[in-house]
Amino acid sequence: MNIKRISFLILFLLIAFLSSCNKENSSNSNRVIIGISSDIESTNPLFAFTPNEGNISELLYLSLVQFDWDKQKGELIPKPMLAKDWYWNADSSSITLDLRNDVYWSDGVQFTANDVVYSFDVYSDPVVQSSLYGTFKNFYTDTSLHIDINKTFTVESPFKIKINFKKGSIPNFVDIGLPLIPEHVFKNVDRKNLITTEKDMKPVTDGPFYLSNWEKNQAIILKANKKSFLHKSSGLSELIFKVVPDYSSRIMQLKRDEIDLTEDSEAGDVAQLKNISSLIISPIDGRDYDYAAWNNIDPDAYKRNKIIPNKIFGDEKVREAFTYAINRQEIVHDFLNDLGQVASGPVSPIFKNALDTLLKPLPYDPDEAKRILAADGWKDVNQDGVLEKGNQKLSFTFYIPSGNPRRKYAATIIKNDLRKIGVDIKIESLEPQVFFQRMFAHELNAWMAGWSVPIPLDLKSPWYSDLKNTPLNVYGYQSKAADALLNLIGHEKSSQQRDQLYKKFQELIYKDNPVTFLYWVDNIVAYNRRIKNISITPLGAVEHCWNWSITK
Amino acid sequence: MFLLISFLFFLLRISPGDPSLKFISPDLSPKLAAKIRDSFNLNSSLVDQYKAFLINLVRGNFGISYTYRMPVLSVIKDYLPFTLIFSSISFLIQIIAGFFLALFSVKKINGAFDKTISKLSLIAYAIPSFVLGVSLILVFSSALNLFPSSGLSSFDFSSFSFFQRLSDYAFHLVLPLITLSLSGVAVYYKYLRENLEDVYNKTFVLNLRAHGFTEKEITRKHVIPNAINPLISVAGVELGILFGGALVTEVIFGLPGMGRLTVNAILSRDYPLVIGCTFISGVLVILSNLAADLIKVRVDKRLLKSTLN
Repeated sequence: MNIKRISFLILFLLIAFLSSCNKENSSNSNRVIIGISSDIESTNPLFAFTPNEGNISELLYLSLVQFDWDKQKGELIPKPMLAKDWYWNADSSSITLDLRNDVYWSDGVQFTANDVVYSFDVYSDPVVQSSLYGTFKNFYTDTSLHIDINKTFTVESPFKIKINFKKGSIPNFVDIGLPLIPEHVFKNVDRKNLITTEKDMKPVTDGPFYLSNWEKNQAIILKANKKSFLHKSSGLSELIFKVVPDYSSRIMQLKRDEIDLTEDSEAGDVAQLKNISSLIISPIDGRDYDYAAWNNIDPDAYKRNKIIPNKIFGDEKVREAFTYAINRQEIVHDFLNDLGQVASGPVSPIFKNALDTLLKPLPYDPDEAKRILAADGWKDVNQDGVLEKGNQKLSFTFYIPSGNPRRKYAATIIKNDLRKIGVDIKIESLEPQVFFQRMFAHELNAWMAGWSVPIPLDLKSPWYSDLKNTPLNVYGYQSKAADALLNLIGHEKSSQQRDQLYKKFQELIYKDNPVTFLYWVDNIVAYNRRIKNISITPLGAVEHCWNWSITK
Repeated sequence: MFLLISFLFFLLRISPGDPSLKFISPDLSPKLAAKIRDSFNLNSSLVDQYKAFLINLVRGNFGISYTYRMPVLSVIKDYLPFTLIFSSISFLIQIIAGFFLALFSVKKINGAFDKTISKLSLIAYAIPSFVLGVSLILVFSSALNLFPSSGLSSFDFSSFSFFQRLSDYAFHLVLPLITLSLSGVAVYYKYLRENLEDVYNKTFVLNLRAHGFTEKEITRKHVIPNAINPLISVAGVELGILFGGALVTEVIFGLPGMGRLTVNAILSRDYPLVIGCTFISGVLVILSNLAADLIKVRVDKRLLKSTLN
């Protein structure tokens, strides 16, 4: 009898729960829910290390300027934000900014030029370890790259500030486009402890949204800041970043209208998502590419601080032959469902003016690959199916980071294709931390990784020969001609001239084949039709989301 | 515990990976990058690091999490309550459901109910939790639209009354609890069913029946205490494992538990947090086993006597 009573009670409670709870459905309100794969660790732009942290902190804290993306030219267009107007001096070595006088922090204190000075000071302070530390190369800095505040900033009035850039530098708006933080909130905090103490502080913000609630590992709930000059009455009332770690769950929730938008959908899901009438699928040319890296230098010699060509891959003919031998179009077609394109160099197709469209990717041609290797002296002398040149066999291990299905698939294609031309290649998967540590230490001979090209375009970090100061040149590319071009680009003020230099650089890379550029991956953004005024650009889907509205 | 975390300390320090990598801009010179690395105190000798670690540990300080930039215990404090509650509820469901199913099964051994449940329990045990979780989401969230597919609470949770909050939690936890508990129910069912059958077949049960005791009395006072005793030790271990976090369930349903926290800490080489999570999990395993031993003694007083003797 008791058991029956308990069972009945449990059943009753369950029904009560079911009937009392509203199903979560984003379509019921003026809110937009964005599905993200992992939680953020900070809402403070000083410590925005991941794209989601960057997106969220930029909605909470305003910058001096905002950017639009010029699709025709593939360039950033600066637009007023906290700075309502600006004037460059004759030689572009300084800029004077007129600031808005109608912006208030959420605690009621007015935003002024002092917040600008303080923000740059803190961002560049080495003890703070901000996400932008080390990036202020166009500013006057000391040896620790801390901005020289007195030399750099002249506060002419609370709402007028002049920024002086380092002599000979080529400053641009990105240099001043960082989210600013309130001086009056942080000035009394010991900067050394800022990274730990800011967690306990309630965010004082000035953006179009404010942080309403942050449920750890669940959701970050932003609400519209109706006092913001960016606020529109027809805009969103709430913007929620919902943490859904499992990709399949995220896609399912998108289909069920539990979330409204997600980025980086997999190409394999596009067909089924397109069948859902409530969704719009927007693939845009990406700026992420995968590459097969052939270490241009000898790893063992590098350990002894010597740079000598790699025994196999130091030879550009081998690298060229490998590029011919790999069927990159097959990967783009079969894995990416043609939502990407074969790459010919390191400049993304989004940079329309800088991209050299005359350079077509080398075709898949195993016979040409064999011919090049044979002409270079690689022959299968002992008839074991593997090419040799002197005592050197064309045999190596190809490393990939674990947990990435696309790279695993591509590595299998690479292995099969290279074996066809007489290369003995073994694939080994490494845990990502181990993989990247060994890659940055130049310990690997051949591997596969990816790179996201920054906006604005910067090719010096991954391609300059000085390996000590450009650690992203992990493949050890050495070229005096390329260095000279990169130096010229760094000093060229005219964007047209710079684009021409970029094209020359691409020609050089095309000839040298330091790596095999595999493919550019489209960023597939899937979102609900009810979101209006959304503009998907290479800057991201969430950019300018204060302009979004919802159709009821 | 001391040995466990000491071993872990050295294991983490010698394993490859660099926790400071995320904080170092590729634009930084090696000298400035080295300065940032220095701030993680990973450049001093292992012995010095271990000494500092032990001194901090004695003071109850596990250090600052590299990832969350907060004291380790503060980070764990955000995740532990959920895991404790979620695991305890799941544990109770496993024990209670397993117990009653086994009891009904042995009432009529080889009957239709017994046969059906025995087969279903095999299936439940064999299904991997990620398959079960995704299947439940597909059926109950996607097709029937009965339960939410992820998360612990609704977005409007803060505006809910106490009872609405309670029901909101329950509503969100139905599917995760089924996912986490089902295989455990099958295990306890199997254990208990066999134990109950064994005890029912003992001669003392026949004697009791011959002396005119009712089946209810025999089951309650004699069969159940004898049958559940071996299970208590197993339950103690299982509870400890549950307290360590239910990674797969947490990932599929997006729940903020210790499993996800620990795995993320390992993947990001957040050494202080890994050690903190392991310490807490270790303490919970010990406490679970202690609780199981105390319950065993409470159920079977002979154990206490034999221990004292």
